[in-house]
Amino acid sequence: MNIKDNWWKILGVVFMLYTLIAGILIPLKPGVLEFSNSRALTGSIYEVDIETYNTYLTIAPTNVWLLLPDDKLIKADRTNVIDNNHISASIPIPHDLEIPTDRGIAATIVIDNASDGFFIYPDGVRIKKGDSKNTLSPEYYSISDLKSVKDFKFPFRGVVFETIRNTFFHVAIWMSMFIILIVSCFHSIMYLIKKDLNHDSRSAALTTVALVFGIAGLLTGSMWAKFTWGAFWTDDVKLNMTAIALLIYFAYWILRASIEDVDSRARLSSVFNLFSFVCLMILVMVIPRLSEDSLHPGNGGNPAFSGEDLDNTLRAVFYPAIIAYALIGFWMAQLIYRYDILKNNFLDKEY
Amino acid sequence: MLGRILHIIKRDITVELRERFTFLSNLLYLVAITFVVYKIFGTLEGPTKMGLFWVLMVFTAINMVGYSFSQMSQSRKLNHYQLYDPAELMIGKLLVNTLKLFVAGFILISLQNLLGNTSLKQPVLFFKAYALAVIGLVSVITLVSSISVYSRSQNGLVSILSLPLLIPILLLGMNISLISENPDRMLLGATVNNYLLMLLGIDVVLVVLTIIFIPIIWKS
Repeated sequence: MNIKDNWWKILGVVFMLYTLIAGILIPLKPGVLEFSNSRALTGSIYEVDIETYNTYLTIAPTNVWLLLPDDKLIKADRTNVIDNNHISASIPIPHDLEIPTDRGIAATIVIDNASDGFFIYPDGVRIKKGDSKNTLSPEYYSISDLKSVKDFKFPFRGVVFETIRNTFFHVAIWMSMFIILIVSCFHSIMYLIKKDLNHDSRSAALTTVALVFGIAGLLTGSMWAKFTWGAFWTDDVKLNMTAIALLIYFAYWILRASIEDVDSRARLSSVFNLFSFVCLMILVMVIPRLSEDSLHPGNGGNPAFSGEDLDNTLRAVFYPAIIAYALIGFWMAQLIYRYDILKNNFLDKEY
Repeated sequence: MLGRILHIIKRDITVELRERFTFLSNLLYLVAITFVVYKIFGTLEGPTKMGLFWVLMVFTAINMVGYSFSQMSQSRKLNHYQLYDPAELMIGKLLVNTLKLFVAGFILISLQNLLGNTSLKQPVLFFKAYALAVIGLVSVITLVSSISVYSRSQNGLVSILSLPLLIPILLLGMNISLISENPDRMLLGATVNNYLLMLLGIDVVLVVLTIIFIPIIWKS
């Protein structure tokens, strides 16, 4: 085997292994799963039981805080660590806290210790004006008093939790599918210019792989949807557009199968491939962005899949994952293409 | 070039008028289906009306435009190939087919209004969406039918190939027409214009692609 010509296959395998190992083994950052009490009154003690995730609360002394909107922190005067993932705390709420409206103000639960760093449940507690006559005036702390640790972990997000790892499968498979389709369209154009049947075979092989990736993307997306949105199939625009896109590529296969003459099959399927790629772009990229109600990030007013959602730890696995799938896809396409060539040669000899 | 296109259009219309049975049979199909659906639902209003309208439009378009290539006799094809530039022929054909489909759809919606005893709430908006959608439908189906002429099972292939490609146009057309029936569906002021612009953009892309690809397909 010639290493020089096949370096990209090795790269693909290495990135694939990296994606699988890093994507599945790197733990999530600690986070708050649930807490018992979401209402607090000024001038009284706020009692709460908290269930945390991926934490080691018993290892180091743990503090519980309430973060007020003006970035001031109130420390719990009593905390009781039950086990690594359960803690209860009582936090005194100052009697003279400014509450501008009847709706109260939103406060964030913050937990920190030396081994996990700090983690939060944003805006989980609503503080309202209480009628108790107690005077409570606990000390205020600032954010710099929190302990933080630098570690390489995936972010903890509500709703998705551990399934955030599906980013490396679902999203990355989609992205690499688009890369493969673009290359397939390039070969279609090359066929139309040069009339070289090899380009057509390559284009067909790449489209086959893209179709397989599309189905894989749909399946992984469906599993993710079950976990986060509650159903395997939802009325989400992007999901349904995607299903239609797959139909278009199935149609491409039917077209190829139904034309016997090699040259006209190559010509027509190249044209149809280009045409359907444009339609696919319209379906998947443009229409979901116009509609008001999509569940996908980046559509229908949801925040785009960038910035906070895709932080650097995710990126460190996500981009290699795209490259890995694309390279493996090209490899698969190359095998299909070679099989096609061999089959044609064989048939040529036979008849 | 314009003169030649006009000539092609004139000739196509003459041929259409001479062979009016195809167009009339499509109209008869529309009338029959509309009547059957009207008897089943008992009324034609709101989403039912619009859904029925678009579904019928798709099938009429496939019947009317989709087989326009396969119905041409071999000698006429050869004649066309010798006489005209394929792009010009295609522009002419697109225009004639758009006109045919537009007329058919107009008759369909009038019939629905007559049977359902209703009228369009915002006719201008509806006809904008309708005209744009018809252009898109015609260009997709024309391209697909010219592709499927060469295959073994052309009749089935036209609908298999074109239906998924038509869905973006249909969705946009459906949305705009529902908004035109019931303005409450519109959540944001700019949405309708966005949809119309979107539809226009898709049409431009599809028509340009069709005109580019037809000479390539036409060769054999």
